[in-house]
Amino acid sequence: MGVAAAKEIGPVQAEEMVLNIGPQHPSTHGVLRLKVKTDGEIVSEVIPYIGYLHRCFEKHAESITYEQVIPFTDRCDYLGSMNNNFGFAVAMEELMDIKVPERVEYIRIIMAELNRIASHLLALGVYGLDVGAFTPFLHMFRDRERILDIFELTCGARLLYNYMWVGGVSHDLPRNFDSICIDFLDYFEPKIPEFNELLTTNKIFIERTADVGVMPAEVAISYGVSGPNLRGSGVKWDVRRDEPYSIYDKFDFEIPVGSGDVGTLGDCWDRYWVRMLEMMESCKIIRQALKTIPEGGDVHQMVPKKIRPPKGSIYRRTESPRGDLGYYIISDGSEIPFRMKMRSPALTALSVLDEISAGWMISDVIAILGSLDIVLGEIDR
Amino acid sequence: MRAYLRTIWESVSTLVTGMTITWRHMVNIRKGNVTLQYPEERWPRPERDIGFDQDDYNVIRSRLHVDMDDCIGCLKCERVCPVDCIKIETEKVDKGEDIPDVGHTGITSNGTKKALLLTRFDIDMTECCYCNLCTYPCPEECIYMTGGPNSEKHPIDYEFSQFDRNDMVYRFAKEASEEQVEKATCVKNGEKKNG
Amino acid sequence: MIVDYLIDIIPFAADWPGLVFVSVVIFCAVPVFLFIAVYALVAIYGELKVSSFMQDKIGPMGQGVGLHAGKWGLLQPIADALKLILKEDIIPTTADRKLFILAPFIVFIGAFISMAALPFSQTIIVADMNIGIFYILAVSSLGVIGIILAGWSSNNKWSLYGAMRSAAQIVSYEIPAGLSIIGVVMITGTLSMQGIIEHQSGFVWGILPNWIIFQNPFTFLSFFLFFISGVAECNRTPFDIPEAESELVAGAFTEYSGMRYAFFFLSEYANMFVVSGVAAAAFLGGWRSPIPGVLDTPGWGIMWFIGKSMFLIFMMMWFRWTWPRLRVDQLMSVCWKGFIPIAFFNIFGIGIWKLLIG
Repeated sequence: MGVAAAKEIGPVQAEEMVLNIGPQHPSTHGVLRLKVKTDGEIVSEVIPYIGYLHRCFEKHAESITYEQVIPFTDRCDYLGSMNNNFGFAVAMEELMDIKVPERVEYIRIIMAELNRIASHLLALGVYGLDVGAFTPFLHMFRDRERILDIFELTCGARLLYNYMWVGGVSHDLPRNFDSICIDFLDYFEPKIPEFNELLTTNKIFIERTADVGVMPAEVAISYGVSGPNLRGSGVKWDVRRDEPYSIYDKFDFEIPVGSGDVGTLGDCWDRYWVRMLEMMESCKIIRQALKTIPEGGDVHQMVPKKIRPPKGSIYRRTESPRGDLGYYIISDGSEIPFRMKMRSPALTALSVLDEISAGWMISDVIAILGSLDIVLGEIDR
Repeated sequence: MRAYLRTIWESVSTLVTGMTITWRHMVNIRKGNVTLQYPEERWPRPERDIGFDQDDYNVIRSRLHVDMDDCIGCLKCERVCPVDCIKIETEKVDKGEDIPDVGHTGITSNGTKKALLLTRFDIDMTECCYCNLCTYPCPEECIYMTGGPNSEKHPIDYEFSQFDRNDMVYRFAKEASEEQVEKATCVKNGEKKNG
Repeated sequence: MIVDYLIDIIPFAADWPGLVFVSVVIFCAVPVFLFIAVYALVAIYGELKVSSFMQDKIGPMGQGVGLHAGKWGLLQPIADALKLILKEDIIPTTADRKLFILAPFIVFIGAFISMAALPFSQTIIVADMNIGIFYILAVSSLGVIGIILAGWSSNNKWSLYGAMRSAAQIVSYEIPAGLSIIGVVMITGTLSMQGIIEHQSGFVWGILPNWIIFQNPFTFLSFFLFFISGVAECNRTPFDIPEAESELVAGAFTEYSGMRYAFFFLSEYANMFVVSGVAAAAFLGGWRSPIPGVLDTPGWGIMWFIGKSMFLIFMMMWFRWTWPRLRVDQLMSVCWKGFIPIAFFNIFGIGIWKLLIG
């Protein structure tokens, strides 16, 4: 009887189970669907399905004027809006051959670096949440809120700024900006060691992240990964340093790279740690900029009345909090762009997910996804 | 064995370090608290001490407001809006003359003579993306975001919530019936025909 | 026991022994249930406040009357409970209906009947069994059956993952918890809860109360082993992988809503109390005063016992709001490579200590 039943059923088979992480899931960082093939807890394949947040940014840009594009760049990477504006403004200025006043350059760099801190704070805090630590997340949000206050003070908006225009910025800095900004930095810099004690050096956190999702430098480069993810793999590449735009070459700052201190070079912990170090470097840049910022002058001085770039095209990349953010703009000489393409660093970071998370567990897929710090608004555009 | 004990020591010490931090935050809550009890306490609006002339700047992103008496119907704001949330319709009228029937003033506060009667000026705040682009090109500075430097003109209003989605469409044009509008415009049309 | 006693003293009781039994059960069960409910409200409020304070916020607050959560947000847990009761009870169409309905009750029963052997004071204990601690260890893991049922019957992949993780976890952590208790039993020579507490009277080392945790270094270690294993059995952070909201949505409870979810919630808190209560009774002197001989009356006993338990529950909350979560294989390795060897070492240590020192 037993033998007959066994014959009927056949040999015991273990099938792979397909698990859909998302689009509604607490830790997909937006609206992302991951089709995960699992054998028990072990994941053999991760296929990201994107497009749930597609808003036709690139196509839409072909029907609106250049100044109208800027509010839409905000909404791509909504955590690094200043940097998105910055990239577009830099590209357009290069296309139109505009030299912006020096004060504007300083303002832009201060804003971009503050925004980088805000973005990294969110990335790190949410990463804590991904591995189960709730408190660091709220501590980091608390500090991010102060940066948003500074932005609100400067341009009225807290998240989507439309601040950096082609040829200038929308508002000059408020008169007491120096002291407010220095106050914030004095408050914030001692907080970083506290974050480290609370989360970074926590043994459970290290267990969860060190040696997990190792991305060797060759893999990172071949996938086109950039920004903190690439630097986490030990590659010293930063557009701010290697292809300096604006006036980044005037400042003295380090480019932190992953060291593999607690695990393997290029693991989740390294990517996390690079972001933590970058926040400190950003603080350094802001302090330098506040010291040397020139006074006076109209920030609207070089803003063209009508933005009508000459015929031609431009590709310019800048360093957003997530990596190389490139804008490719073709102009046919009219007020509206003929073609507009945005190179999203988060998209390349997501594409490497399958490569580095196969063989790990479901919990690790979440941890790896969090360490890549993707923003779905930018991936889907 | 050494490594084993070392791991245990590391785990215990780092975990206890974390606990001391949360403990510190817990006992110092009176100093460290960042919560505001929202309806009773409001987030303080940042002091706006802007360099240059304050009136040139509109450092707030809030509800749009239009001073209809100053609007000349140039459509610049409608054109610049990236999301097309401003809808304007105009009719030609006698230049610079008041038409009390439809609440039309002939001359703006800047002294510009108006040649157009605005029959429709709708702003759909559900579509507005608060980019502030519409306020810059306005020649009469009559469209602005409420609050900030404009706070004496119009009180700041952040909680402009409505029960009905359609209530978020703000209609700024003066109320006037079709006949009244026709009466206001036909004078001019008649003149033109005669001339 | 009580039944026999009642039958003896009440003249007509012998005619309906079944009725006496049922009424005694109700007489004991209702207060325990009420205690769990009230305690859960207090614990939820405590958790809200503890977590908020650690995160630099003040948690639920209310000023004035109306829709606010009362003074200092005291009404918040009641509002939460009310919300859970009023919410729509959803049973997925593809779920295994009977098991789906049954699961929350099994989980709750596991926590509820463990309460029977908890000594609240010298006199207040539902059943002072001679195998009390053994009984608690046995029935408190009944809840895992409910969690597995919940995960299976929900017909949801996340639930299934949560259930499987939970089963593996609770079964593993039973072992270090049980082994730590063996040390206590070796010292006291009894399995009865009251017997264990009786043993812990007087002083040790001159000034310290004669609690088992202070009696020798091995028992000191045993306490932490038992308590951390207990945290794991309650599925609390850092061992909350069956729920793991950032990975498994809500684990085994993903498909549950309303009252059924409330029962899981309630049993989680009840389990916390059971674990803390056993730890307090077995290691921290139960209802004994921290200064032996002072305030050691039965009335104060209940205060001491609940106070000690609540302190341990506070520790659990403190853990939860500080630490990240372990991964499932790390959880197993912590148990099998860390806790169980140490627990065995402890048993030897306690045995040798008892043999040589006393």
